[in-house]
Amino acid sequence: MNADITVDAKFKSCPGPLIALADTVSKAQPGQVVKLLATDPAAPSDVKEWALSTGHTVLAMEKSGEVYEIFVGVSG
Amino acid sequence: MSKISLIVASEKIDKLFPAITLATTAAISGWDAELFFTFWGLLALKKGYAPSGVSLDYKAYEEKLTQALASGSIPDWKTVLEQGLATGRIRIYACSTSLGMFGLKQEDLESFVDSIAGAATFLSKAKGSDVSLFIS
Repeated sequence: MNADITVDAKFKSCPGPLIALADTVSKAQPGQVVKLLATDPAAPSDVKEWALSTGHTVLAMEKSGEVYEIFVGVSG
Repeated sequence: MSKISLIVASEKIDKLFPAITLATTAAISGWDAELFFTFWGLLALKKGYAPSGVSLDYKAYEEKLTQALASGSIPDWKTVLEQGLATGRIRIYACSTSLGMFGLKQEDLESFVDSIAGAATFLSKAKGSDVSLFIS
């Protein structure tokens, strides 16, 4: 999956990845795809819950080695 | 709108960090967050406050935290707080009784403190919370 913006939050513990993602998403345009790179094992579940609360969409989650790649669609 | 209410009763980093993490995570998730800083927690609101260490009981692990903060794997609590405050969804109250106990005035506190409050005011703000915790 292609992303418009990539947020690299590898080796950052909670709440680092989510704060970095939320900050980028707040500045992104509706419809854009933001890719979060994270190694925090809580990131997949945290991003899912955050997306449910905020109305953004988790489009895909992949794991490459120790790194999670989480694609989020920015809502309007 | 969901809401979290926290009573923060310690200025030590191992108490402050989880409190601020929850408040900011709530705020960036669209929740309101009401924080009441009381007793030793009030000291964290003093202008220019920087935590000097962990609670005495956990002194043996202090080095672990220092390393994690230095490497950036755990973010600085003030940076986390600022991200939360930027949403406009976090409100911070300073306990009037603790303020008096320490001989402090509102001008001694950080500008992000919304107001000085008593128990009745905080109860009113916290009423109807979905999550409420006392962190000490």
